Amino acid sequence: MEYERFRQELFRAALNEGCSAAETFKQEGESFSVSILEQEIDSYSVSRAFGVGLRVQLGGKNGYAYTEVLEEPETLVQKAMDNARSIENTDDHPMQTACDYSDITPLQDPLSSLSEEEKIGLAMEMERLVLAHGEPVLKCAGSVVETGRQTVSIHNTLGLAAEETRGYSMLLAEPVVKRGDEVRNSYAFRCADTDIRGLTAEAVEKAVGKLGAEAVAPGKYRILLQNEAAITLLQAFSPMFSADMAQKGLSLLAGKEGQVIASSIVSVADNPFEAGMPRAFDAEGTPSEKTALVECGILKSLLHNLKTAKKAGCKSTSNGGRGSAASPVDVSPSNLYILPGECPAASLMEQLGNGLVITSLAGAHAGVNRVSGDFSLLASGYLVENGSIARPVDQITVAGSFLKLMSGVIGVGDDLRFGFPGSSRFGSPSLLVESLMVAGK
Amino acid sequence: MISETIAQRVLQAALSTGGDFAEIYCEDSESTRLAMTDGRVENASYSRSRGVGIRVLCGFRSAYAYTADVTESALLATAKAAAAGLRQEQAGNTALGFRAVCYANREETLFSPVTNDMRVKLLKEMYAGAKQFSGEITQVECGYSDKIQRVTVVNSNGLWASTVRPYTRIMVTAVASAGGETQTGTRSPGFGRGFDVYESVMTNELGVEAAKTAVTMLHAPECPASLVPVVIDGGFGGVIFHEACGHSLEATQVAKGNSEFCGKMGQQIAASCVTAVDDGTIDGEWGSLRGMDDEGTPTQKNILIEKGILKSYLVDMAGARRMDHPLTGSSRRQDYSFAPTSRMTNTYIAPGSDDAEEMLRTMGEGLYAKQLGGGSVNPMTGEFNFAVAEGYWVRDGKIVTPVRGATLIGKGGQTLMRIDRVGDRMWMAQGVCGSQSGGVPVNVGQPRIRVSEMTVGGKGEKL
Repeated sequence: MEYERFRQELFRAALNEGCSAAETFKQEGESFSVSILEQEIDSYSVSRAFGVGLRVQLGGKNGYAYTEVLEEPETLVQKAMDNARSIENTDDHPMQTACDYSDITPLQDPLSSLSEEEKIGLAMEMERLVLAHGEPVLKCAGSVVETGRQTVSIHNTLGLAAEETRGYSMLLAEPVVKRGDEVRNSYAFRCADTDIRGLTAEAVEKAVGKLGAEAVAPGKYRILLQNEAAITLLQAFSPMFSADMAQKGLSLLAGKEGQVIASSIVSVADNPFEAGMPRAFDAEGTPSEKTALVECGILKSLLHNLKTAKKAGCKSTSNGGRGSAASPVDVSPSNLYILPGECPAASLMEQLGNGLVITSLAGAHAGVNRVSGDFSLLASGYLVENGSIARPVDQITVAGSFLKLMSGVIGVGDDLRFGFPGSSRFGSPSLLVESLMVAGK
Repeated sequence: MISETIAQRVLQAALSTGGDFAEIYCEDSESTRLAMTDGRVENASYSRSRGVGIRVLCGFRSAYAYTADVTESALLATAKAAAAGLRQEQAGNTALGFRAVCYANREETLFSPVTNDMRVKLLKEMYAGAKQFSGEITQVECGYSDKIQRVTVVNSNGLWASTVRPYTRIMVTAVASAGGETQTGTRSPGFGRGFDVYESVMTNELGVEAAKTAVTMLHAPECPASLVPVVIDGGFGGVIFHEACGHSLEATQVAKGNSEFCGKMGQQIAASCVTAVDDGTIDGEWGSLRGMDDEGTPTQKNILIEKGILKSYLVDMAGARRMDHPLTGSSRRQDYSFAPTSRMTNTYIAPGSDDAEEMLRTMGEGLYAKQLGGGSVNPMTGEFNFAVAEGYWVRDGKIVTPVRGATLIGKGGQTLMRIDRVGDRMWMAQGVCGSQSGGVPVNVGQPRIRVSEMTVGGKGEKL
């Protein structure tokens, strides 16, 4: 069955069966990915994906059903209605009505005009650039080019019609270095950017920088969280900014709007228009809006979708999210980031004086407690003495609490950077913080 | 989903550019998920996913294409797209007939006759167990999921193999709060069986256990940062082997020389008290594959490490091409949108001969990690980390206090050599392992073990 007809049948069946409204969320996309090893295609993948999520409103409750098969619309409607009947939560979850959307301007992506051959060539060239560094580079464990496009279409029986195509591209290289018996690896990536020289130089520098790393003695250290490490932490604790978590009593930021929650030099924003990954509307079809979450240390707003906004008596901040077309509506960030400050990285290092630069944090999916705000994570980086690097450090953990860390920020770098793009994207500059507890040897 | 004639044509198209092997992976899955917050069902969703992934191999090269459109023309186009990935121009050979193998033959109640009311009942029981445990429990989140995965693998060697895999899992997280502090406890058992498994699951008790962990941790001091002996309990404690060693034995890493255990076959890589197994055949387990892996290879019990000696890697077809190693029935993928690769199934440290109490009594000062959270590893270097969800500080061989916020870190090879006790009773727990071919259900397990020294992360002062 053609999609348009399938959608019409869904809507008709839903309304006939007594639903007060119905909505479809369609995702259709194509992707390309190639990975090169030893100048050969190690893996190559192309895809065409399609799926449609149905949401019905029955007696004020939402029910969901998803399919990749355009057959038997009535059955799908029945599944969604069964699910709506199971809902006991009494919060009203309205659907969006017809809206106007502003034009968005994504970055010009130089990869979008490349042929497959050219993309494969680019991945091969990345591997050659990594190997060209010579010793101690042992090999390039991965040299990857990925591109894709996805069209999201949301329609409902209240008149909403929103459609947008979003593209992405990513280059990634993973050098492996070896000195004696010691093997280290690292990676760097770029999005919508063909700067493979910068990328490979950064990746190699990171890997080489780890050679000879050892733990430090346990204790409290002054810490410079480099942007990539700060992103890991911000991403892990971003659910704190969700009004849904707050309303369920699962966020320490519940009820703290207007209060000081961070150092006065910290500001946090959610910006759906950010050029690296812009969108005109969220997963409920609400037109995008930039939201100031923290301004000079003061919590200004949480992230809302239509349901949490209704409950809180405010407007949606255009942060309705769906993990995929198969997932129910939740609250999720668009581009959520800590605003850059004015300190160049070198001056942050001077300000650090004696302490640790943390370049990467691992284990954030388990080593953070989003509810209590506590974290204890595997870390690596450098020991800094008198403002200059003394030696690389690994096999340590840093532990603290996210809100105490945000209050203890004493320097914000000018080096804002974003992490991997996904359904959300997180960014941060480097942050100088008073102290964290370190475990080591 | 696919007829023999169409399969022939699709394989032919896939091999049209010189591939020496082609494979069609057909999947049709249905799942239902429910979420409950504060005792009330908040979300319920159903999903059906159907599609085909086509893979072509040529020497060490591999190309993959997938589509949600399963019409013949779309399948042929997908096969040609995969074939184009090889960047060659000469036709290969394909099988003329198929040998059919079907692994789905078990009688049981799967999920189609199951109503949401039956599912919700489980959630309510877990909620009640947790909520009634203590006045300090301020929030309870419960979840339920079930999935039926129907898989058929057809390849150019003439294999036509299919299976049906049922999965179901429940989860309860209790949140305890007092004086502005909050801690959580979670239980989340999963099964490779139909809904009837819940006849023998004590749902109320799961809620009680989750609440007990949350309340215990609420009144626990922060774990001090230290370098001490660590006793790790059985069940989810087995995640230490999963991270510290398991990933580094997968062909995904080993075949390309990206593991610290490359070239170590037959050598000692763990203390001699350690025997470790990966077994995708265990009946009804969350990590089991119902007869065959996602390349259609029969599953088997693999002894990975025997008394400290490395005996086997986990090897899929692409890995086997680079390694001199037989297939181990370990090839897995989250769904048709992922090319398969070698993964773990039910992985555990086998029971040893040590006394579970003695290892605590003789450890001096250190950490007893009773419940672990998840972890991760860099297989290239073996550096791993995982979180301790429920820990206790031990002094002079006696538990003195619960401690919160502990993390364990180390390097795989080093840690395996430092295991100095392995208890005599093994049990398993469930997780979802994320790696190259997506998220797959796995069991981890071990008896209670002791590691003579580990770095313990935490923000507490000395106790």
